[in-house]
Formats: sequence, C-alpha cells, structure tokens
Amino acid sequence: MSTELEATIEKARSPFSEAFEMFRKNHLAMAGLILLILIILGGVFGPYLYVADPFDMVWAPFSPPGEEGFLLGTDYLGRDLLAMLIHGARVSILIGLSAAFLTVFIGITVGALAGFYRGLTEEILMRITEFFQVLPTLLFSMVIVALFGASLPMITLAIGLVSWPSVARITRAEFLRIRELEFVTAARACGVSNAKLIFRVILPNALPPIIVQAALMVGSAILFEAGLSFLGLTDPNVVSWGQIIGSNREYILDASFTVTVPGLAIFLTVLAISLVGDGLNDALNPKLRQR
Amino acid sequence: MKKTLASLIGASVMAMAMVPAVQAQEPKQGGTLTMAIQQTPRHLNPAVQSGTATGAPGAQLFAAPLRYDENWDPQPYLAESWELSEDSLSMTLNLVKTATFHDGAPITSEDVKFSVETIKANHPFKTMFAPVESVETPDAHTAILKLSQPHPALMLAMSSQLMPIIPKHVYGDGQDPKAHPQNSENVVGSGPFKLVEFVRDQHIILERNEDFFMDGRPYLDKIVMRIIKDASARTIGLENGEIELVAFENNVRNINRLKKVDSLDVSSDGYAAIGPIDWLAFNTKKGKTADKAVRQAIAYAVDKNFILKAIMLGAAEQANAPIHPGSPLSDNAVNAYDLDLDKANKLLDDAGYAKDGDGTRFELTIDYGWPALKPQAEYLKAALKKIGIAVSVRASADFPTWAKRISTYDFDMTWDTVFNWGDPVIGVHRTYQSTNIKEGVIWSNTQQYENARVDELLEMAGKENDPAKRKELYAEFQAIVAEELPVYWTNTLPYHTISNTSVGNPPRGIWATSSPLDRVYLK
Repeated sequence: MSTELEATIEKARSPFSEAFEMFRKNHLAMAGLILLILIILGGVFGPYLYVADPFDMVWAPFSPPGEEGFLLGTDYLGRDLLAMLIHGARVSILIGLSAAFLTVFIGITVGALAGFYRGLTEEILMRITEFFQVLPTLLFSMVIVALFGASLPMITLAIGLVSWPSVARITRAEFLRIRELEFVTAARACGVSNAKLIFRVILPNALPPIIVQAALMVGSAILFEAGLSFLGLTDPNVVSWGQIIGSNREYILDASFTVTVPGLAIFLTVLAISLVGDGLNDALNPKLRQR
Repeated sequence: MKKTLASLIGASVMAMAMVPAVQAQEPKQGGTLTMAIQQTPRHLNPAVQSGTATGAPGAQLFAAPLRYDENWDPQPYLAESWELSEDSLSMTLNLVKTATFHDGAPITSEDVKFSVETIKANHPFKTMFAPVESVETPDAHTAILKLSQPHPALMLAMSSQLMPIIPKHVYGDGQDPKAHPQNSENVVGSGPFKLVEFVRDQHIILERNEDFFMDGRPYLDKIVMRIIKDASARTIGLENGEIELVAFENNVRNINRLKKVDSLDVSSDGYAAIGPIDWLAFNTKKGKTADKAVRQAIAYAVDKNFILKAIMLGAAEQANAPIHPGSPLSDNAVNAYDLDLDKANKLLDDAGYAKDGDGTRFELTIDYGWPALKPQAEYLKAALKKIGIAVSVRASADFPTWAKRISTYDFDMTWDTVFNWGDPVIGVHRTYQSTNIKEGVIWSNTQQYENARVDELLEMAGKENDPAKRKELYAEFQAIVAEELPVYWTNTLPYHTISNTSVGNPPRGIWATSSPLDRVYLK
C-alpha cells in the first residue's frame, strides 16, 4: 500500500520535471544539448582564452591549417581563421537568439490576439500573416537589408520579420483549442480580465509547441544570416560564420578550408539545435508521456 | 604635335610595312570569331554613350577619323591624312573618298560635322570637344574643325571609342539621338562590320562589311559577341575553345588559371588609353582626412605590395600617379609612399592625434563602389589599425547608394576605379580641377580638392601642343597631387585580353577591343 502511494506521489511531479526526465533519456537530444553548450561556451569564453583580433592580418593569405601555429590557417587577407571562427560564434549565435526572440514575440502577439478574440480581429491579423507568409522570405529580407543598411540589428530585424508567420499560426491554433476548454470558461465566469486570460491562463498551456518552434527558429535564423552574408548582405565590421564563407567563397578552388571550416561550424550548430528541438518536442508532447 | 602630311604618310607606311614583319604568318580571309563580352550595352552608338560596353561593338560598326597603334601613334583611318594649322586652331581632316556607310551612301564631311555636333551635345565627356567651335566643310571630303584654343586632346578623342562617324541622313532625322531607335537595331554604320542582330543579354552578331573602305579588310566574315555575365562561364568557354576572345577580363583568379592553358594567349597589353586605376579617395574638406598629414600617414600605412600580390595575385601593375603608367604622360616616379609604419605614426603624432588608452587615435569610415573592391576595404581596416586609426567598413546596397554617398560628400574614404579615357583632359582633369566640384555627380572632383596651381597647370597642359612641354606641365601636376594626396593611387585594374592561339592579331593597341577588329583573323 505504501509503495503504491509513493508511486502515485512520484507520478504527480510537476510536468516540467517530467519533461526533463523524458529529455534526459533521449540520447540524441542530450548529445545535441552537450554540443550546443560547448559551442556557446566557446563563443562566450573563447575570445578570452584565445586572444586575437579577428581583423588582424597575421600571416600570408591562404596558409593551410596548422602552418605557423595557426590551427585553422588564414583567409584571403591572411587573417587567423580560428580567431574569426571564435568571434564569429558569438555573432552567429547572438543573431540566432535575438532573431528567434523577435520571431516568437511577434508571432505570439499576433497569434494570441487572433486566436483569443476571433471575429474581425482574427480575419485582419490572419490576412496580414498570410501576406507575410507568401512573400519569398530570402528576397524580402534582402530588400529590407538593402534598403536600411547591413547592420546587425537590421539583419536581425529582417530575419524576424520574415519568420514570424509560422509561430503566429501555431499560437493561434493552440489558442483556438484551449479557449474552448472548461477551465478557461471557469476563469472567464469568475470575471478574470481578458489580458489575464490570454497571458496567465491560456498562454502557459499553449507554450510547449511554441518552445519547440522557437528552438528550431534559432537554427534557421543562423542559417538565414549565413545565407544573407553569403550574398554579401552583411555588416563588414563584424565577423559571422556566414560572412567568412561569403568573403572567401571566390577562393574555394584555391583554399577550400577557408569555406569548409565555418561551413562545418554552422552545420554542427544547426544540427545541435535541431536535435535539442526534436528532443523538446518529444518531451513536451503529452501523447508520448508515460502517463 | 604639328604633323605634316608627308611625315605622317611616311610614318604610316612604315608602320604598315612593319606589320608583316612582326607576324610570321600571312593573315587569312574568312571565318567566324566568337567573343564573349561581360555586359549588355545600353545601345550600340558610342556617339551618345560612354563606356566600353558600347565602345567595343560600336568600334566595329562605326569608323573614326583616326586609329592608334601600340605606341600611341595615330594612324590614318577614315581620315587618310590630317593637318593641324600653324596656330593650332584648326584641324583639317581629309577623308577617304571611297568610304560609304552600310546603306551605300557616301561618307562626307557633312557627316563628320554632324557627328562632332551630336557628340558635343550628347556625350557625357564634355571636355573632349568643348573647344571645337565649329566644323567647316569646304568640300565633300574635307572637314575643318575650328578650335577656340589649342586642344591636343583632340587627337585621342578622334578614336573609335570616342568619335564614331555616324550618318547624318539616319541619325539627323530630328529624333533625340540618345533614344534613337537605330542605336540598337538597323544600325547604319561606317565601320568594318555590319550589325546582323542584337539580342539583349544574349548576343551581338556582326558580319563583314563588303564595301569597307580599306582594301581586303576586315579579314573576318563574322563576329559573334556572346553576352556572358558570369566570369566562371567565360573562363570555361575559353578553356574548351568555345570562346576565342575575351577582353576587359579582370577577375585575377580566372586570369591566372587561364595563363596556364596552352591554347590561350593572355595579355595585359592594350588598356593604356582606357587607363583604369584603382585608388583610395579622401574627403579633403571634412573630418580628419581634410588634414594632409592624415592622408599621407594612411598612404604610408597601406602596403601596395600586399594589394598587388595578395589581392591582385600579381596580375595588376603598381600605380603611383593620377595618369595611367601606360601613358607617355605618366610620371610614375613620384613618391610611391612605400610601406613605412614609423613614418605614418610620426606624421600622426606630430599632427597632434594622440593615441588613447587602447591605442586608437580616431575613427574613419571606408566605402567601396562595388563588391570587387571589398577586399581592399577590409584590408584597409586591418592596415590602419596598426597606426591607431579605427576604420569601419560601410557596405552599400547597390551602386546608386554608393554613388550618392560619395557625390554628396557623405564619406571619409572610398575605394574606386576611375578611367583615364585616352588624354588626361578627358579622364584625369575631372578628378582634380576645382571647377569640377559638382555635387551629385559621381566621378567629378568628389574629393573637393582645391589647389590654384593644379588648376593652372591643368589649364595650361590642356592647351599645350608641344609634347615635351606638356609632359613637363603634367609632371609638375603629378608631383603636387602626389604630395597632397586627394587620392592615393595603388594599382591599375588588371584588365586582360585572353585569346585562343588560333586568333591572329589579337587587339593589343591602346584601346583594346574598343578599336576596329578589322586586322583580326583566324589561323
């Protein structure tokens, strides 16, 4: 009897700790998480451990990796690729995070309002969402960057502006589902204000799919920035991985490592983020829970 | 510059006699030459459009009074002889009497008069014919250009790139010559080739003008100019023999790759008159770059050797002066500002720009006109850090954005490529004359450089007919600007002509393919 009771208590843990348990058992997701933490630590502490200005020309251009103590070689102007890669990690991850934050912010706002109020509000907001959804994303962000200048905030804004519709649609769908549930009706009957209903009652229950989407957003924002940089739409005063590829791509036949090294970095980061996102999806999905 | 008829004919006979000696092989008649060109020209009439995109096909369609050999010596073309009067104020052109336009009408002095007037009114290079007050036509084959002042630049201005002879009975029909429908199709020209077809972004096809006034020319039956914008595609086409001739190639990696191909001849000869120079321009009126010491310090901190070896991969030539090193008027021996960081630091220290805590003296911005110049801008950022100048690179979304910034003086420094266009009066004066500070006009004196002595020297050199004296005036001018540095010249643009070894007489004159290709043949 007592063991049964303990088991019941065991099962009644908070949903998040249960989700974490699920996540922890997912080996792929854990591998992704460890990789991601390593990359972030590298970006945060790397510049202090490996002190070098990424814009300094330190050695002959296109020195192959390993020569003269430059672990990853030098680029077309003789700049240390390792220094560029470490500094680039900061910028790439920062852009990924801030663009994902912006995407989620716009997406949740639009989706929540549309899903909660329905009617004319929903009509208008969803038409706007569709408008953004049918625009070719890369082209649209290129126009924004071309018009307002290639600075980091502008690139982040451009990525955020073109990626939010998917978050808005997911949020709206969740809101449409949850707003009809009984506890919401109960809260409404108690006279809870609309703002509180949206943010305190419905939103927390709608979060799981949004969290998954946000995690994947970080990866796609990093890829997006790399794409823009590759096309030359980048702030030339900061190093990002995409920018290293973009400025060295013409020399791919002469010195392929200048392109493959940052390319590999992008690949690993996005892979890590995808694995984490996938793990989160499994962990937060109620249908997959043991209950 | 005074030329007598006898000496000229003598010179040209000699030049013609030398041609067969240079080539071991007799030119062969016939065949189709396939070329690639980099861009679609706006239209094909160089009388009302500058640039080599129009100039290259234009020089095949239209003949000019003169043509030039590799040594900058004028040769008779549509003018079988020419004479400058004693007072240097009238230039008499004696036209070839048998010359006809592509529609069969004879080429007369009226057409020369009409061409000069059309160019003067419509071509962006106003200085070319500004001193030409009128053109007299005493008979059908004599045209006399009356000048308001001696104008030595006229000689080079009479080349195909700049002075095509266009038919009055076609282009003088009252329509705006810049928008004339026959600029692009049914072109009635005077040159060695006739237009068959011009399809935008595809090709320009030219065929032999059977009635061309030079006997036996052109050698080729047909020229196909394929418009290929992608440098790699042109490179592959040259490698597999599909394309036999490309001029104005300046992608150094591709050039170096093609140099290793046995079936190709790669040469940088032929661009002296076009005269493209890469340079770092300063805003001499605003901010820190208004200080001469700062400009000189920056020049000392830039390693031209690095630009030539690492960025240009050895394919470009060093330039130290405003006139292209290939020009007889160039004085490339002025101060070259060889790398000297101590001197640069000392100049800045003496000028009172102290370093702050983290070693920075002040900040500057660098712009660049097109993506090919981005490596130079990034290099500058790294190079100037060494003398305590923090440079931020400003990217422009497109060419007009950059042009607007520079021409409204919203810049500290910019990398740019500017062309000499033959005579300094046409392409060099514009950058340094204080009278050419024109807000909103790109490639005017956007540095806003003002020096009374320079103005005076350019004015005098512009009308000095004695080549030796003229060279002296330009030498003094070059010494002054090399000292004051409104512009820091680094290198020539690495233009190259790549031709298949099967192509005889590839264009190596001073105007590259913007000159008649009537002597080109297929072996």
